[in-house]
Amino acid sequence: MYVELKNLNKRFGNFQASDDVSFGIKKGNLIGLLGPSGSGKTTILRMITGLETPDSGDIFIDGTRVNDLPAAKRGIGLVFQNYALFRYMTVFDNIAFGLTVQKKDKKYIRDRVSELIKLIGLEGMEKRRPHQLSGGQKQRVAFARALAPNPHLLLLDEPFAAIDAKVRKELRSWLRDTINKVGITSIFVTHDQEEAVEVADEIVITNNGRVEQVGTPIEIYKDPKTPFAAGFIGKSVTIADYGKLHGFEKIEGFESALLRPEFVHIMKPQNELYPHASQRGIVEDIFFKGNTLELRVNLDGQKLVAYQSLDGASFSVGDEISVLIYRLYLLRENEVRLAENRSIKSEGNFFI
Amino acid sequence: MGSKTIKIVLILLSALFVTLMLILPLATVLVYSLRQGWRTFVSCVTDDYTVKALNLTLLTAAITLAVNTAFGIFSAWSIAKFRFRGKQALTTLIDIPFSISPIIAGLVFILIFGRIGWVYPLMEALDVKIVFAVPGIVLATIFVTFPFVSRELIPLMQSQGCDEEEAAALMGASGLQIFSRVTFPHIKWGLLYGVILCTARALGEFGAVSVVSGHLRGKTNTLPLHVEVLFNEFKLTASFAVASILVVIAIIILILRNIVEFRLKREEG
Repeated sequence: MYVELKNLNKRFGNFQASDDVSFGIKKGNLIGLLGPSGSGKTTILRMITGLETPDSGDIFIDGTRVNDLPAAKRGIGLVFQNYALFRYMTVFDNIAFGLTVQKKDKKYIRDRVSELIKLIGLEGMEKRRPHQLSGGQKQRVAFARALAPNPHLLLLDEPFAAIDAKVRKELRSWLRDTINKVGITSIFVTHDQEEAVEVADEIVITNNGRVEQVGTPIEIYKDPKTPFAAGFIGKSVTIADYGKLHGFEKIEGFESALLRPEFVHIMKPQNELYPHASQRGIVEDIFFKGNTLELRVNLDGQKLVAYQSLDGASFSVGDEISVLIYRLYLLRENEVRLAENRSIKSEGNFFI
Repeated sequence: MGSKTIKIVLILLSALFVTLMLILPLATVLVYSLRQGWRTFVSCVTDDYTVKALNLTLLTAAITLAVNTAFGIFSAWSIAKFRFRGKQALTTLIDIPFSISPIIAGLVFILIFGRIGWVYPLMEALDVKIVFAVPGIVLATIFVTFPFVSRELIPLMQSQGCDEEEAAALMGASGLQIFSRVTFPHIKWGLLYGVILCTARALGEFGAVSVVSGHLRGKTNTLPLHVEVLFNEFKLTASFAVASILVVIAIIILILRNIVEFRLKREEG
C-alpha cells in the first residue's frame, strides 16, 4: 500500500469528524472518497495533507509515518475545492509559485511551467489573472499548480463541484486521462456517486466519519457491505414491507429492503414470463431520460422505479402492467444480504 | 412619481442636515480665524507654542500609527486565519476603546502610572516620567485608536478565507513569503484605509490626552489641547487659527480616504 491510514480519529468540539478511519491506497491508483456532505471526506483529505492533525492514529506515505512531518514536507499536491488560486498573480506565477518558493533556477521554472501549461491546454493565457478565467480553466490552473513541484501524491477536494454540468463531464474525463498520463497516485473527494463511479479506480465510501466500504465501483455496486453503501451507490428505493412482494419472504431481523431499478422487469400482462413470480402494478408516471424511460410504478401501494428501453414495449400512464422483481437487498443494522426471487428458481427447476 | 418625490425630499434633507451640522461649523472656523486678516492668522499659526504643539501631535500620531498598524495586522491575522479558544473574547476586547469614554481611557493611565498608581514606584526608580509627559500622551492615543486597523482588516481577511494561505503553505512558503506574496496584496487598500482613519483620530484626540497631558505649554500640549488653552484665555482668533490647521489636515485626510475607498471598492468589485 502506498498510502495507508490506520485508525484515524478527529473531533471538532462535539462533532466526530473521523471515527476510526482506516484504508490503504495502491500506488498509481485514482481513489474517490465518496460520501454525503458532513461525512468526513474533507477532514480525511486535510489530515493526509497535514493541514489538520488527527487526534489519534497513523498516516503512512510510501512506508514512512508522516504524522509529525509538516504539510510542506510531505510531497503532496492539493487542489482546493474553490481552487484557491492566488488572485493577485498571473496564471504563470500561480503555477510557478511552488517552484519559486523552492528557489529553483529561472530556466527550470520557465520550462516546467510551460510544460504544464501545455498539459492543461492553456497556451497563451500565461499573463491572465484568475478572475479572467472560466471555472474549468481555473480548475486546470489549480491542477497544474499542484503538480508543478512534482508531488508523489495528488489530492483533489471536490474538484468539479463549482463547475456547471456540461463542462463537468468534459473535465472529468480530461482529469482522468491526465492523471493517468502523469501517473500520479491521486485521491479526490466527491459527494456525487456518478462522478466517483466514472472517474475512480477504487471508491472509499464514508458516512458519519466512518469508512463504510472500500472497493472498485463494480464491487461496491454488486456487493455492498453496509445498508448505507447499498443505498448510496446506484439509484434505489427502500421497501418496508418486502414480504408482500411475490417471490420474497420476510426474514427475521431484516427490517427493510432496497430495490434497484435494474432489478425490476416490466411487461405487458399478456406477455407475462413467470406468473407466480410476477405481480400486477399500475404505471403512475413516465419520464424520458434521454436514452431510457423511467417509469414510476404503483404496486399495491408500494412505489417503485423501473427502466424501460426506448425500443421495448411502450406503456402509458394508467396502464396495468406485470412487474417481475429479480432480486432485493435485505437490510439489517450493519449487514446487507442479497435475496433472489424464489419463485423464478422453483419454476425454472420445475421446467428443467 | 411618489418615489421620485421621496427621493428628492430625502436628498434635500440630508444635504440640509450636513450643511447645518458639518459644513457650516467648519466654515465658521476658517472664516473666524481669518477675521483679523492674513497677517494675524499667519502669526498665530507660526507662533512658537503652536509649532511645538503641531510637532508633538505629529510625533504622537506617527508612533501611534506604527504601533497600531503592527498590532492591527497581527491581531487581524491571528483572528482571521487561526482557530483558537477565546477568539471571540479577543475580538470583543479589541473593541473596548470604541465603547468607553476617552476620559476613562485617560484616567486609567493616571491610575496606573500616576503618583497613586501601582507602577509609579518602579517608574520613579527607573527615572521615567509617563503621566504628564510625552509617553503618557502617546499611550493614551494608542489606546483610543487601537481598533481602527484591526477592525478594518478582520472582516476583509475573514471574507478571503485561508485557502490561498494554505495552498501557499502546502507548497512550502514561509510565513513571511505567505504574507508578502499572498495576504498583503489582498489587504493593502483596506490596511491603508484603516491607517488613514487611525491617523485622523490620533491627530484629533482630545479627551484621553487631556487627562494625561498636564497641559504644559510647549511641552505636553498637543494641537487640540492648544486650541482649548487659547480658547480659555479668550484668544479667540488665535484659537480658531490653530483649529483651522486641524480642519485643513482633516480635509486632506478626507480626500485621501475617498481615493482609497474608491480603489478598495474597485478591487472588491
